[in-house]
Amino acid sequence: MDFFHAHQAQHYLVLAALLFALGAAGVVLRRNAIIVLMSIELMLNAVNLTFLAFSRFPLVPNPPMGSFLSGHAAAFFVIATAAAEAAVGLAIIIAVFRSRTSVNVDEFDTLKL
Amino acid sequence: MEVTWLHLVPLLPLIGAAVCGLAGKWLPKGWVYAVALASVLLSFLVGLRAFMGLGEQVQLFHELAFNWFSAGSLRVDMAFTFDRLSGALTLVVTGVGFLIHVYSVGYMDEDPGYWRYFSYLNLFVAAMLTLILGDNLVAMFVGWEGVGLCSYLLIGFWFTDEEKAYAGRKAFIVNRIGDFGFLIGIFILFNQIGSVGFAQVNSAALPLGVASIAALCLFIGATGKSAQLPLYIWLPDAMAGPTPVSALIHAATMVTAGVYMVARLSHLYVSAPGIMAVVAVVGVLTAIWSALIATSQNDIKKVLAYSTVSQLGFMFIGVGVGAFFAGTMHLVTHAFFKACLFLGSGAVIHGLQGEQDIQRMGGLRRYMPSTRTTFLIATIAITGILPISGFFSKDEILGQALHTRAFGFLTLGYSGPHLTFLGPLIYAVGSFSAFLTSFYMWRCYFLTFSGEYRGPESVHPHESPSVMTLPLWILAGLSVVGLVLGLPQPWVHGTALQGWTWEHFTEGVFSRPRGGAPEEFAPYLGYGIALIVGWAGWAGAYALYFKRGLAGDELLTSRVRGLRRALANKLYVDELYGWAVVRPIWALARGLWRFVDATLIDGLFVNGIPSLIAWISAMARRFQNGDVQRYAAVTALGVAALLYVFLVRG
Amino acid sequence: MAEAILFYLFAIGVLLAGAQVIFRRNPIYGALSLVGCFFFLSGIYVLLAAHLIAILQILVYAGAVMVLFVFVIMLLNLKEEELGEARWTAWKAIGVAAVVAGAGVIAWRALGPAYPGGPVRDNAMVVAGFGGVKAVGRTLYLASVLPFEITSLLLLVAVVAAVVVAKGKI
Repeated sequence: MDFFHAHQAQHYLVLAALLFALGAAGVVLRRNAIIVLMSIELMLNAVNLTFLAFSRFPLVPNPPMGSFLSGHAAAFFVIATAAAEAAVGLAIIIAVFRSRTSVNVDEFDTLKL
Repeated sequence: MEVTWLHLVPLLPLIGAAVCGLAGKWLPKGWVYAVALASVLLSFLVGLRAFMGLGEQVQLFHELAFNWFSAGSLRVDMAFTFDRLSGALTLVVTGVGFLIHVYSVGYMDEDPGYWRYFSYLNLFVAAMLTLILGDNLVAMFVGWEGVGLCSYLLIGFWFTDEEKAYAGRKAFIVNRIGDFGFLIGIFILFNQIGSVGFAQVNSAALPLGVASIAALCLFIGATGKSAQLPLYIWLPDAMAGPTPVSALIHAATMVTAGVYMVARLSHLYVSAPGIMAVVAVVGVLTAIWSALIATSQNDIKKVLAYSTVSQLGFMFIGVGVGAFFAGTMHLVTHAFFKACLFLGSGAVIHGLQGEQDIQRMGGLRRYMPSTRTTFLIATIAITGILPISGFFSKDEILGQALHTRAFGFLTLGYSGPHLTFLGPLIYAVGSFSAFLTSFYMWRCYFLTFSGEYRGPESVHPHESPSVMTLPLWILAGLSVVGLVLGLPQPWVHGTALQGWTWEHFTEGVFSRPRGGAPEEFAPYLGYGIALIVGWAGWAGAYALYFKRGLAGDELLTSRVRGLRRALANKLYVDELYGWAVVRPIWALARGLWRFVDATLIDGLFVNGIPSLIAWISAMARRFQNGDVQRYAAVTALGVAALLYVFLVRG
Repeated sequence: MAEAILFYLFAIGVLLAGAQVIFRRNPIYGALSLVGCFFFLSGIYVLLAAHLIAILQILVYAGAVMVLFVFVIMLLNLKEEELGEARWTAWKAIGVAAVVAGAGVIAWRALGPAYPGGPVRDNAMVVAGFGGVKAVGRTLYLASVLPFEITSLLLLVAVVAAVVVAKGKI
């Protein structure tokens, strides 16, 4: 058993953390709304990665039967939800761009008191 | 004897009150009159039937109407007792009440609020009957408060007049002070005896201290309701109400409730001889105090009001010296002649289109002969210049006071003198009050009915309709016939009249004072002195007012100017109360309003909390600047903090 | 050994492509990098024996969703001056620092003793058909059929919402 095989899940989790950090940094940094949306997709995929990693290498030694693949089901739902979110989000960007001719999120600040 | 119909006595007027009050506005006038009068009359007939049923075998009727409430060992029933005392008073209340209802039909006919008036009046009768018939202190208290409420409503009957509404409030508030004492007394008795029933209270052996405190607290209640010193001040102002109300509530029935209560609790009071002395002394002081004020009043109703206070003082002398029968006898006779006097004054006021000042009356004997004759009879009764009802009852009180043994063993301090002098002292002061009574009543009579008419030309005095004079005649007749109650025992011994004398009739109802029955005395000397005193008052009034009219007042004033002015101003008692009680309370209330209400509650709580929230919100608002990315950054910061807490430190 | 090499290959690809997404100025490069990122990710998924999800990743994400992104980017056709300058603020620096710190903590903990002692359980070795269409399908249709149906409803709503919002005037 080499190091990788002894610590498989940890590798995936670290990768997921780094990917999530990239996505979060993109959300915080970038002004372009489309790139913000894409950063959110990155974060969602990081979450998917943890689901799948834990599904294969569970923390509990003997999970109850029938729940081996619930992580996969969750990933499936995340993909579906991400698709819906991308559709609505892009539609909003188009609508906003029509009225403001801009896609920069720091220029949309009317939704405040 | 347990019966099932006794509740009808107070219930019938209550139904009448409900009908008149709820539907009276839409019913025809005649129906309202019929309901109001019939309910009281039926109540009277039920009471009369019950009264006839009382005999040697049947000492009392008792009915447990329903259990009102029970809590722990406290059990309060709506139960009624009809014995010789409460039975006789039931007849007085319903009988005199009915006559006054009849009179009111004439008096209040033109008032648009007549249905309201009759509703209140019926409600009053119901409450008064509850007070009288209740077999426990709580039931009595219900009636006690009920009559107070009706008194308030009827004093302020013409509530659009601010002064009259104020008089109603004054009566209510002063009564509340007394009622507070009454309640405390009930609490003490329940705490000590474990029951509030009269039967239990009147058979309990209480230690002297407890009995004294309880009796004193209850007597404070009585001073409020029965207008004794120092709480009498509301009664003269209560004359703001319609005159029949003054006759029924503020002369004949409600104000005597305190006397009735003391007599009902005779056992408690004889257990506390010191408090009996207090009762008697308060009574005699009230009697002379208000008799003095009455000599200088010019409002005919005020004269009668102070006269009522004074006569109530006599009743308290009676119960205070242990002669409970004498006090309650005066209660009954006073109900007859004072109701007659008030109704007579009402007829005068009615005939003079609202004039109440005796300075603008005079010579009315020619215009209203019926009123004049009945007023004369009642005046004779109250002043006692001829031996009719008032003469006997008042003299019985004074004779009992002179010969009482109730205070014989009270001492001033450990080695001080015995209070045996108290009885004769009360007799002397009481007799002087009787002289003053005679004086001011004859002054009132002479200024009203004798001499020449002094009122304005535009007012034409006229006799009242027969619906008003008929009750006057009946009450005047009762004032004369009432003498039977007070006939001395030696005169009637062995005759048919003996059963009618009050002393014999109520034998066994009251407890005997601790010192024993008063010394045996022959009444003739006392009667002689009483006649002399009464005629002296008449003579003084006759000399001053019969010929001179108003000039008599001026003559009197020129002799004792300062005293007259003080008396005309009611001895400045209202001013004293205003200065010592009312103004401090106003100041306190204003302070509470300004500081506690306006500053603390409104400022700190009502306005302070929202402005604090507004301030915090204004701070918090700066975080919401609409920049999504800052929100994301703050969220990331929060996540990092949580991760630190859970993963690093945890 | 081959698994380790493939993992590091895909991982580096994922991170590089992800970095391209957030650091490229023009969104079209970002979108194409994201497609690449998703391909590498699906490779990672395959290494995790999540075959169905890997396929869906390529079909749905790289195929459908990213086409939508590219389509919108081209529809908007942002000019150079409309793209805007990168603008740094204090809050952005704080946010990035917080993100880096959070990820660092997670990575540090993940590499540390995150798992209790004993042999690591590998479901791919234990469960027959792990991650395959049949097994995941059974999970979806038997254990979580209600969320599945609700997801379809959600997609329908999203379609309607996208049409309504983007159309402007119906």
